[in-house]
Amino acid sequence: MTTDGPTAPAPLPDPGRHLTAPATRSALRIQHRLLAAAREFLREQGFTELLPPVIGPVTDPGSRGSKQVDVDFYGHRYKLMTSAILYKQASLLAFDKIFCVAPNVRLEPLETAGTSRHLAEFHQLDVEVAGASRDDAVRLVEELVVHMVDSVVRELPKDFAELGRDVGAFTELLKGSFGRMRHADAVAELRGLGHPQSPDAELDWAGEALLSAQRDRPFFVTDYPKGSRGFYDREHPEQPGLLRNFDLIAAEGYGELCSGSQRTNDYAEIVTRMRETGENPQKYRWYLDLVREGVPGSAGFGIGVERLTRYVAGLDAVWQASAFPKLAGVVSP
Amino acid sequence: MSDLSAPGFPEEEVRQRARAGAAAAFPPPGEYGRVLFGADRADPYRDGERDPLDTLRITPPVFMPQRLARLIDLGREPDYRDVELATPVGGFTSALPVYVSALGSTRAAGGDLGLALSRQAGSLGLPMVIGENVVPVNGYGRLGEAADRALLGRLRAYTEELPDGRGGVVVQQSTEDADAEVWNLVYSDPAALPLLESGRLAFELKTGQGAKPGLGGMTVLDAETAGRLGDRYGIDDVFGDGRVLRSSTPGTFTAEILRQQVRLMRNNFPRARVWVKLHPGRDVAEAARVAAEAGADAVTVDGAEGGTGWAPGAFPAQVGLPLAECLRRITAAGPPPCLLVSGRIWEGGRAVKSLALGARAVGLGRAALLATAEDPEAGLVRFTECLALELRMLISALGKYAPSALDRDDVWSPEFPVIPAGE
Repeated sequence: MTTDGPTAPAPLPDPGRHLTAPATRSALRIQHRLLAAAREFLREQGFTELLPPVIGPVTDPGSRGSKQVDVDFYGHRYKLMTSAILYKQASLLAFDKIFCVAPNVRLEPLETAGTSRHLAEFHQLDVEVAGASRDDAVRLVEELVVHMVDSVVRELPKDFAELGRDVGAFTELLKGSFGRMRHADAVAELRGLGHPQSPDAELDWAGEALLSAQRDRPFFVTDYPKGSRGFYDREHPEQPGLLRNFDLIAAEGYGELCSGSQRTNDYAEIVTRMRETGENPQKYRWYLDLVREGVPGSAGFGIGVERLTRYVAGLDAVWQASAFPKLAGVVSP
Repeated sequence: MSDLSAPGFPEEEVRQRARAGAAAAFPPPGEYGRVLFGADRADPYRDGERDPLDTLRITPPVFMPQRLARLIDLGREPDYRDVELATPVGGFTSALPVYVSALGSTRAAGGDLGLALSRQAGSLGLPMVIGENVVPVNGYGRLGEAADRALLGRLRAYTEELPDGRGGVVVQQSTEDADAEVWNLVYSDPAALPLLESGRLAFELKTGQGAKPGLGGMTVLDAETAGRLGDRYGIDDVFGDGRVLRSSTPGTFTAEILRQQVRLMRNNFPRARVWVKLHPGRDVAEAARVAAEAGADAVTVDGAEGGTGWAPGAFPAQVGLPLAECLRRITAAGPPPCLLVSGRIWEGGRAVKSLALGARAVGLGRAALLATAEDPEAGLVRFTECLALELRMLISALGKYAPSALDRDDVWSPEFPVIPAGE
């Protein structure tokens, strides 16, 4: 039987104690500064910030094992957003470079309550660029993350001290040049370490942590196989079965920070890929109509805001990077 | 008592087994010594003879080296009670080479009957498949839908009776179910956690069904219920009397779509087993190979027989490969590691023939429903006792002591070309 890490749910403190704890305040100040730095950087690069929708008739199906939340919208079944992906692609009809800080809700499997890295409600810094390639997106993430971390390290030394986080951990990160490895190489490395990683699947959580623990700066894993991602990741034209996508994985065992890809914008390919991911094209009507009319080719990514905060602040668990954390199956405000 | 019936299916024999248990494997004991017996042209074991499986004969040899091995092992002559029926089935362990395959959203499988069937299948340690469309049609049961119809009610009824280390629940998802995210729902539900943690939860990708190969699921609904489901299913007013036909789409599959869907299931639900159900299509061997190579724990072939839902009359008699031909093609092409079959299975002979032709286990559909309808408390349990006795007798008669030891030498037919013809 495959296991995905520890299953004991982490206890959450009551909200009053959590919000007044000095460590929480420092973590949230770091998060605030990270987002402010991201906005500076992206605006400087000509991006427009949009406000993402919270509900819609359909949302991103490509989230491993988690359940979407249904909303009764005047008798129609709507969904809370699991990610902004469909709207990000559509938004390129208005602007070539967009970003948003999007709330996402995913009813994750119960065992994720104890992984230290899953929240049922979280935020993504979502970025999409018309006409960009996967490698353009990878370069942009790298520059963005360096800028964000540099800003927070320079401006919030007291908070790092309060948290006991040695900013020396970012010496290598701040040089940029994050490593890149293909998914197939990651699988080979994990198997070499005795970890039974499937070559057809996303890196499992334990595997990701294992690779992450071997590195001194974040690194990219690219070229995930089909069958591990949503229908919107573009397939390699010359290497069928592989996708032009990537994850950014933190150093020190903190795991995945960001997922992204070059997008498919071909109507027939999207419908076929929907079937390959077990989806019913009928429910994506508005999106497919738009794609049929034509949306720009693009690449983009979403950085998990709480996960990045956790890594930068050196927190034990990702819930510590949220003012009002929600863990799988745990009732909390 | 339900109003369920099954024309063309040996219904009365199944009901008799549900009442009498193992004794029903024999003629009435009162006839012993007074009635001479022999093969009866009209006997229910040969009912229909539509399928080459029915015309096969089970052929015990005279010389039995495996019986000798069992004799040495036991230090005494083995008998039928020494057959060990426990069988690995699609990542689970079943008490016998049997699983229960008939629990969709159809009226026949709904309500108390579905719950009673779940309870008995659980107590027997038989893996149980919960069919498509239960959640979109009847709800899940967490937010107040009637528990007897909803998926959660069946899951709980089954799990409460389940012995340690046996059985497991298999949840189907069709194209319409994908909208309701049935798998995601079950995977993250506290009620399913004990099954998940003990490795006894599977998800079945349904690509078709035996009763109407190439079409999706069908039920007949009253107009009011149909109105409630209207935007999710095709609703067709073919009957003209207020009742309507509700059709699911069968879903579009190519080899690549099947391969990637199986991989996605493994990626998204790493702690669940993956089953794939195929209709008896002419490319069934290729489809079984694709599913197995993509990592399916079990491939199920549903023979062109019948079902608990609804089908146009043209289909059952004329559409789809016979089950025996499916088995022949699949084994000739190199069978998947765990091949399961269903289709008018109700007694040991048809089951043993299927196992001899390469199946790991057989599914009970209509038989399980009828047995439960006959006695919701213990009908399926008694029916299964009878089936287990027959399996033990037939397998031991072949000089074998486990279902996995059966092979093609154990059956014979003059018409079935690949079976060695009694050389």
